Amino acid sequence: MVKFLKPNKAVIVLQGRYAGRKAVIVKSFEEGSRDRPYGHCLVAGIKKYPSKVIRKDSAKKTAKKSRVKCFIKLVNYQHLMPTRYTLDVDLKDVVSVDALQTKDKKVAACKATKQRFEERFKTGKNRWFFTKLRF
Amino acid sequence: MVASKKTKKTHESINNRLALVMKSGKYTLGYKTVLKSLRSSKGKLIIIANNCPPLRKSEIEYYAMLCKVGVHHYNGNNVDLGTACGKYFRVCCLSIIDPGDSDIIKSMPGDH
Repeated sequence: MVKFLKPNKAVIVLQGRYAGRKAVIVKSFEEGSRDRPYGHCLVAGIKKYPSKVIRKDSAKKTAKKSRVKCFIKLVNYQHLMPTRYTLDVDLKDVVSVDALQTKDKKVAACKATKQRFEERFKTGKNRWFFTKLRF
Repeated sequence: MVASKKTKKTHESINNRLALVMKSGKYTLGYKTVLKSLRSSKGKLIIIANNCPPLRKSEIEYYAMLCKVGVHHYNGNNVDLGTACGKYFRVCCLSIIDPGDSDIIKSMPGDH
């Protein structure tokens, strides 16, 4: 009886090209919209996880290994698996539905979320979110 | 002996309560709609049959945990649960949205 598909919830995408990837809900549309008459949400997820960094790595190598590639997508609730984890990264100003309209807006939004995700990864918090789900 | 008698009594009472919900309340039957009701936080109690596949059972329990909704493991398989609902088909899981006149929500939840 408690709503759990709220912004900042970590979810796993189940279908599509990004199946198996972890994502965070940025905005949820419970009642759907004109174009999508079903419950869906805007998620920002990880397309390519950062690799494992070891002590031996040089600074240049750690920088290269800590890169994160992101995606932004509108996903049906049915195609998500919610988890008990949350990720408070403020993406509301960066990621929005009109960022998905044109290619260059989308690229800019992805770049900005990439920044936010990378800095969060470097702090070492939310480690679960940045590890690949093995299946 | 005493234990089995107790479970038979409570089992009948669940059936009675379920029948009352079917008559007077709102419910949905089936996995897809159970998940839908949990996502929209409309479900108040979930009942799962005992021969539900374990992956599906865990998934429903996880959603219910996120939602803080009670799950009741029905003492019977999907055929029995369908009969208990008064339907002529098998029901593996069902979600009670509005109990109507029944007190199933108040008396069942502590169960797991």
